[in-house]
Amino acid sequence: MRHVIIGTGAAGITAAAEIRKQDKDAEILMISSDSQVHSRCMLHKYLSHERTAGELDFTEEGFFEKNNISVVNGKAAAIDTEMKTVFLESGDEIAYNRLLIATGADSVIPPVGDLRKASNVFGLRHLSDAQKIDAMAEKAQNILIIGAGFVGLDAAYGLLERRKKVTVVEMATRILPLQLDEHGAKAYQELFEKEGVTFRLGRRVQDAVCGPDGQIHSVELDSGESVPCDMIIVAAGVRPSAGFLENSGIKADRGIEVTSRMETSVKDVYAAGDVTGLSGIWPNAMKQGKTAALNMCGVKQIAGADTEYTDTFCAKNTMNFFGLVTLCLGALIPEEGDEVLTEENKRIYRRAILRDGKVRGILLQGDISNSGIWQYIIKNEINVSGKEKKLFRLTFADFFGVGERGKYVWTF
Amino acid sequence: MRRIIVEYEKCDGCKNCSVACMQAHRKTPGTVYDLNLTDPENESRNFIYQADDGTYRPVFCRHCDEPECVMSCMSGALKKDADSGLVTYDEKRCASCFMCVMNCPYGVLKPDRVTNTKVIKCDFCSQDGGEPNCVKSCPKGAIHVEEV
Ligand SMILES: Cc1cc2nc3c(=O)[nH]c(=O)nc-3n(C[C@H](O)[C@H](O)[C@H](O)COP(=O)(O)OP(=O)(O)OC[C@H]3O[C@@H](n4cnc5c(N)ncnc54)[C@H](O)[C@@H]3O)c2cc1C
Ligand code: SF4
Ligand code: SF4
Repeated sequence: MRHVIIGTGAAGITAAAEIRKQDKDAEILMISSDSQVHSRCMLHKYLSHERTAGELDFTEEGFFEKNNISVVNGKAAAIDTEMKTVFLESGDEIAYNRLLIATGADSVIPPVGDLRKASNVFGLRHLSDAQKIDAMAEKAQNILIIGAGFVGLDAAYGLLERRKKVTVVEMATRILPLQLDEHGAKAYQELFEKEGVTFRLGRRVQDAVCGPDGQIHSVELDSGESVPCDMIIVAAGVRPSAGFLENSGIKADRGIEVTSRMETSVKDVYAAGDVTGLSGIWPNAMKQGKTAALNMCGVKQIAGADTEYTDTFCAKNTMNFFGLVTLCLGALIPEEGDEVLTEENKRIYRRAILRDGKVRGILLQGDISNSGIWQYIIKNEINVSGKEKKLFRLTFADFFGVGERGKYVWTF
Repeated sequence: MRRIIVEYEKCDGCKNCSVACMQAHRKTPGTVYDLNLTDPENESRNFIYQADDGTYRPVFCRHCDEPECVMSCMSGALKKDADSGLVTYDEKRCASCFMCVMNCPYGVLKPDRVTNTKVIKCDFCSQDGGEPNCVKSCPKGAIHVEEV
């Protein structure tokens, strides 16, 4: 049996490890356009020179040798699902029995002015992006970042360490608009501003014209303001990396369509991770990778684990900038009729959105100790009626149960 | 693998286990008698909570069979050891993202109080031969180690 996996990210690597666990003898071959395995979530540490490229590797030492997994460096350009073959850009052909597509996502550069054609405009998704940004940051002083989401702020954070002048333009009226409320966002904004970052909120880039050198030296905002820059990082969203599937017969809309067993519309072809469009965060990519692997190995049931992707909850995130930590889960904006509980002091900010005795969303800032229970409470819609008074002091003790072999079980 | 089995009915909330854990992981030399309980550097990896009815619930890392913390770790710092079954944490690899804090279903994990850069996690006292000090210190037999 030959398993071929395209992509060595969270989903691909988790799948490879799981296939090996299930099947000592199967052949496992991975195809990757990355020069080396790396965690995208740590790219800001590369930009800040806190870590080398090698230190972004999230696999254990000797992972590929130990697990007898071979890797081909290259970019998949097409798949022939009848011949069961992957074609690489280099012209090489790789045959498979079972195929996993775990190609993640790519940055979207909006078609504004010359953004797509200028040579000093980058996304931040791959190590190769970070390397280009890093090389240009040697000379660039004024850096413009489009988008104050997670990725944009990661970029800003990394480059601040290099003492660059950073301006961030964001369409929404606050930073991290998908993760935080006004209050929580303000706390980070102030920290970034204290370090010298300038924000242009509620603004969009309207035009950006290339000079004769092929670079953009200033952009025009919708306010009419012109912002000078030596380099632009676009962090305005991503798109599943599925372009090479055209004509393959594998159904894809926003992402590759999959069943709960991570099967695509074509037999023996599976997909997992950001490329499915089901989620855009690391834990879900890992889970999907594991689920795909189990099913690729024909494991339909396994003790203690899921062989279907049922834990789909993905409105969850943590962040840590300047040592200020935040957890955000579920709904962010209260709807009419929702109850909102808040708690605040110099050190912390807490906010919960409740409806009909259930927590729809929670935001904890400053102290996220022992906060793991919240994901469970929210995704399982556990009723907390009567506990509102001590809501922020709930612990696992309030749901405590012990099951077989000393495992904990949730009781409610 | 070995797991700390919790019999909460026997716990009377003395928190000897939490003190033993702080002592076992303190960075300064000394005995439990000079352990500074108010120093934020000294943090326990286990938690004794009082339930609404006044009885106690010991919450300890399960070193889960399918550890959700490992399934969220983007740096490779958290791993399930295939031989020992323990869920180990490598501070040097950790990127301080705290996805694991969010993902542990029992709320066992937390960022370190002093720097918010490390995860405070049970290591089964590997520095002491893998015999957890909390278990040794419990006067009620409410926690014990079992091969599961
Ligand atoms: C800057 C940044 C910060 C982030 N921070 C966090 C965070 O703090 N927490 C969190 O949960 N998530 C974070 N994320 C999101 C997280 O990185 C992704 O959800 C996760 O990497 C998805 O895993 P994946 O395996 O689906 O895709 P990826 O990790 O993107 O892996 C895709 C793989 O496919 C390869 N590939 C793509 N196309 C081809 C092709 N045609 N041929 C061959 N190989 C190909 C790529 O080279 C790569 O190896 C962050 C992302 C970024 C960019
Ligand atoms: S930290 Fe939580 S999820 Fe991880 S092994 Fe311990 S109990 Fe399980
Ligand atoms: S905080 Fe460290 S150990 Fe926890 S998930 Fe992030 S990188 Fe892994």
